[in-house]
Amino acid sequence: MSFRIAPLIVCALAFAAAPYFLPEFNLYQVCLIAGTALVVLGLVVVTGFAGQVSLAQAAFVALGGYGSAVLHSFWGLPLWIGIPLVSAIVGLLGFVLGLLTLRVSGHYLALVTMALTAIVQLGLIYSDPLTGGAAGMPMPSFEMFGFTLSEGRQLYFAIVPTTAFFFVIVHNLQNSRYGRTLAAIRQSPTAAQAMGIDVLQFKSLAFGASAFLGAFGGGILAVLSTYLDPAQFGIPQSVYFLTVAVVGGLMSPLGAIVGSVVFVFLPDFLQSFQTYLGLVFALLLLCFILLRPDGLISLWQSPRGLVRMIRTGGAN
Amino acid sequence: MLGQLLVSSITSGAVYSLIALGFVLIHKGTGVVHFGYGDQVTFGAYAVLIGQALIGLPFWPAVILALLASALLGALIYGTLMWPLRNSTLLTKIIATLAVGTLLREFLRAYMGPSAWPFPFLLSPAPVQFAGLYLVPANLAIVGVSLVLLFTLFFLFERTIVGKAIVAACDNRIGASLVGVRVSSVFLAIWILASLLATIAGVLVAPLLSLSPDMGLIGIKGFTAAILGGFTSLPGAVIGGITLGVLEALAGAYISTALKDVITYGILIVVVLVRPQGLLGTLAVKKV
Repeated sequence: MSFRIAPLIVCALAFAAAPYFLPEFNLYQVCLIAGTALVVLGLVVVTGFAGQVSLAQAAFVALGGYGSAVLHSFWGLPLWIGIPLVSAIVGLLGFVLGLLTLRVSGHYLALVTMALTAIVQLGLIYSDPLTGGAAGMPMPSFEMFGFTLSEGRQLYFAIVPTTAFFFVIVHNLQNSRYGRTLAAIRQSPTAAQAMGIDVLQFKSLAFGASAFLGAFGGGILAVLSTYLDPAQFGIPQSVYFLTVAVVGGLMSPLGAIVGSVVFVFLPDFLQSFQTYLGLVFALLLLCFILLRPDGLISLWQSPRGLVRMIRTGGAN
Repeated sequence: MLGQLLVSSITSGAVYSLIALGFVLIHKGTGVVHFGYGDQVTFGAYAVLIGQALIGLPFWPAVILALLASALLGALIYGTLMWPLRNSTLLTKIIATLAVGTLLREFLRAYMGPSAWPFPFLLSPAPVQFAGLYLVPANLAIVGVSLVLLFTLFFLFERTIVGKAIVAACDNRIGASLVGVRVSSVFLAIWILASLLATIAGVLVAPLLSLSPDMGLIGIKGFTAAILGGFTSLPGAVIGGITLGVLEALAGAYISTALKDVITYGILIVVVLVRPQGLLGTLAVKKV
């Protein structure tokens, strides 16, 4: 464990105290942040750690949401079993897909994952009896041991610990043998292979992990939005998740959370500029990739980074 | 029936070819795959519309204005983004081009609204009967323009000194700069040329599709066409585009209209995995 005790206690206290101080709407936002962060954590693993551009995240999110909804409506499987189960299946699917597709990399991989998202979206639209087609389907309510969790206040206790759990795993993964292997593959696949690393298998594992986290986050986000609309799971949505990851910091699990905080709160701050919201998101992505490709988190990690950035005009 | 189907499919094939030409030009020339190119196509069509509706220009001056605007946009993308990022990783470049596309799309959505606009046809959309087949002049124009552009580009690269400088700079950056080619101006020229191509494609395509900010998603069809053709060959882009158009029409007629697009994306995936060098391209050997 590379965690110090003090921040851990502060986090635990904040978690326990928040429901007493925050109003319902803010707690709902916290849940939204946790769900988005889970999806983006997947991108941190596959794109940040392993260096593979994936535009398939929206597809995994869709499969997570739709999968658990369909399991519920056809077999009455409660969501608290359905979401992890579907995520595991999607994760496995991601691993197999990775074995097939990760022989190509760079822009070829971006194109393939882009096509994958488009296929999944069309598949959802054309599987009418199962998914409600283009009109979408309602997400069943989240029931656990006879209780129905519907408000942010209640879902908070289920969602936030889940994200925290996976955050710790991804955080520790970074400095593990597995994380270092992925870093080696990112820096030079050829050198990694020369050292005896099975590059394809490790890249596929990372892709599988991103699929699992994407589907898990997708299930949570679907519970929060209460409705599944296939129009929300297109290629632009994949770019949106990538934007959150880049603005937060692609190389750090904490970046996924920082990015999600920014992108959940931003629409509130810009309430009178709703028309320009998409434009602001795109501008943020452009500015960060150009001036600060390691995201907001890099300002935190090196406090003088901000000063240096302003002084050099981002030319470092 | 089959003949009519093929004639109509060649129109969409020509559209895909036009977009694929732009992709190949940028990829072959600067080593970047431009994920926002489809949105540049949309931008070109909107620029014409803005010239007509907002400034009140007639059609052709509006087209010229749009071409100027897109040349400026291409120069801007290169100058402010691709030149500063020239030594970045491929990942950063891919995200940067995605950002350009999203920015253009969201800009159009914010200022021109999310709904579709009508766009005038260049020629009559009424069909003319010829040898038992119905031909649409507006569609024939698309086929004609893409062929003319292909030959112009081919002539430029094979027969002119400027074109040869471009090919040299693409093949070997250091070697070209040693014999006096200014590589940065060559890259600038490529970005401007590709942006002009995007606008021409946009003006031709907009009447066929509905002109909305999301029209740029047609870019993925251009990718598929470019990949079919090998991603580095200009004639390959055109052959790939026509092949895709025909395959799509056949799939739509004999399998299912609903699955037409799924088949396109399937082709993309299968070609990348099975034959990444495409139909005409040559496989690049990676040097360590």
